[in-house]
Amino acid sequence: MDGYFYAILIVGLVSTVMCIVAGLMKKAPNDPTIFSVLAVELVLVVYLVGSIVRVAMGEQMAGEAWEFWGYLIVAMMIPLGAVYWAILERTRWSNFVLAAVGVTALVMAARMNQIWY
Amino acid sequence: MKKEHNVTGTETNPANRQPQRKDTRNTGPGRLLIAVYAIFALSATARAGYQIATKFAEAPLAHILSAFAAVVYIVATVSLAKPGRTWFKVSLAAVLTELVGVLVVGAISLFDPIAFPHDTVWSLFGRGYGFVPLVLPILGLLWLNKRRPS
Repeated sequence: MDGYFYAILIVGLVSTVMCIVAGLMKKAPNDPTIFSVLAVELVLVVYLVGSIVRVAMGEQMAGEAWEFWGYLIVAMMIPLGAVYWAILERTRWSNFVLAAVGVTALVMAARMNQIWY
Repeated sequence: MKKEHNVTGTETNPANRQPQRKDTRNTGPGRLLIAVYAIFALSATARAGYQIATKFAEAPLAHILSAFAAVVYIVATVSLAKPGRTWFKVSLAAVLTELVGVLVVGAISLFDPIAFPHDTVWSLFGRGYGFVPLVLPILGLLWLNKRRPS
């Protein structure tokens, strides 16, 4: 597991906990929960840029390259989709939708790390 | 938004409620359910596509099953998001298929691991996915029951 994974682990878990707490407090999605999910997206963008740089520098990944990039691209679509889906209906339940992003990104980052190393 | 309790005729009370509750399943907790189904549709499709593209010959049955599970998740996601009676029935069929699938495949993979050398979403009752595949259809049925068209 590398730094990218731990960054997603921390940001993802913080985001998930924030969104679950907000949902339990019967709040609709607000700036803190939406930005926490966008923070997950930001870390994924950093992961993407970092990975492109590593490949450009000649680093070889152990697993299938297209599988890694597939995971990364799909992972980057999930936070955006969830935010869109959540602001269409701003109820407490949308915060639970946002809460799913962090853990999903975490699982996908773990798999991406497995593919790379 | 919920209307306030107006002091109207008692007979209109149940009739008042019906038009407010539209025949949809994509609001409130349903949104979370659809989101989780969408994630599973995505991951099951990707996984099945990958398995069939790279190692179909190793275990055709398990990989066909993976593809079947992916289709079930896609149908469930789409049908839950759509309003109306027909989509309700499609949802019900998809969620029931999912429940039977996870129970049967889970049991077979437990007692006869040789028949399923390759993991599918439903193997070991979805253990590889934190047992979410087992819990999801149960929550789905509860939600469908709550939003049953009258």
